[in-house]
Amino acid sequence: AMEVIWWGRERRKLSSRELFVLTYGALVAQLCKDYEKDEDVNTFLDRMGYGIGVRLIDDFLARSAVKKCRSYSETADMIAQVAFKMYLGVTPSVSCSNTAGNEFSLILDKNPLVDFVEELPAERASLCYCNLLCGVIRGALEMVHLAAEVTFLQDRLKGDAVTEIGITFLRKAEDRKHKRNK
Amino acid sequence: MAVCIAVIAKENYPLYIRSVPTENELKFHYTVHTSLDVVDEKISAMGKALVDQRELYLGLLYPTEDYKMFRKLHNSYTDIMCNPFYNPGDRIHSRAFDSMVNSMMMQVC
Repeated sequence: AMEVIWWGRERRKLSSRELFVLTYGALVAQLCKDYEKDEDVNTFLDRMGYGIGVRLIDDFLARSAVKKCRSYSETADMIAQVAFKMYLGVTPSVSCSNTAGNEFSLILDKNPLVDFVEELPAERASLCYCNLLCGVIRGALEMVHLAAEVTFLQDRLKGDAVTEIGITFLRKAEDRKHKRNK
Repeated sequence: MAVCIAVIAKENYPLYIRSVPTENELKFHYTVHTSLDVVDEKISAMGKALVDQRELYLGLLYPTEDYKMFRKLHNSYTDIMCNPFYNPGDRIHSRAFDSMVNSMMMQVC
């Protein structure tokens, strides 16, 4: 019976994928009508994403039953290989971009949110179409007591070669104090 | 292979029209326009008979081309519709749509 429940859930997820993608597109298009400046739309998308992230984290922890991550690197892997897979059905590749070990880059090969968007309209050249995702990641991390900055470093929709999300884990105030005292 | 491909809005103006470059391209445009009458006839006939209303492919004007071409065209059209930045009624400007149409047009040297 358990298998039937989860199988049914999977089926439902697959058939509502397009509705989700279209809904997201409608949301972005509406925001573009409401706000003249790309920066404002980007900020709003990030804020909405944050609101989703602080709630989604509980669903994620419940459904993935993962153990606590012991490093930033494990956390970045978790986001890319478990969370992205669970909610978007894709697995971005992860790499650490600095020696301090707190900056990571997620490269999205496929991104279902932009399935139907060929390119940004000419008057929206600075729009971060998927900025909601940055807010989601930021909000979710905050709920597990990890402060992070999350932005799009590259975007195929803007003509870049790849789509890249940068996650920078910010050192907690206690950590910094501790290191200084050493 | 097609010599002319057109997507017509329900208000009877072209959203997209492409034809093989020839001397008398206007002839294609007239043909498209006339075929709209045939489309109207078929649609009103469908209303009376108990035909499956979901059958989008109304049939061929002349029994030459294949259904697959229509399917490809229609699938690309629905992809355009799904673009959140496309407003229904706009002319269609899409590289993906262009290349799909290119693949279906007759090659003229």
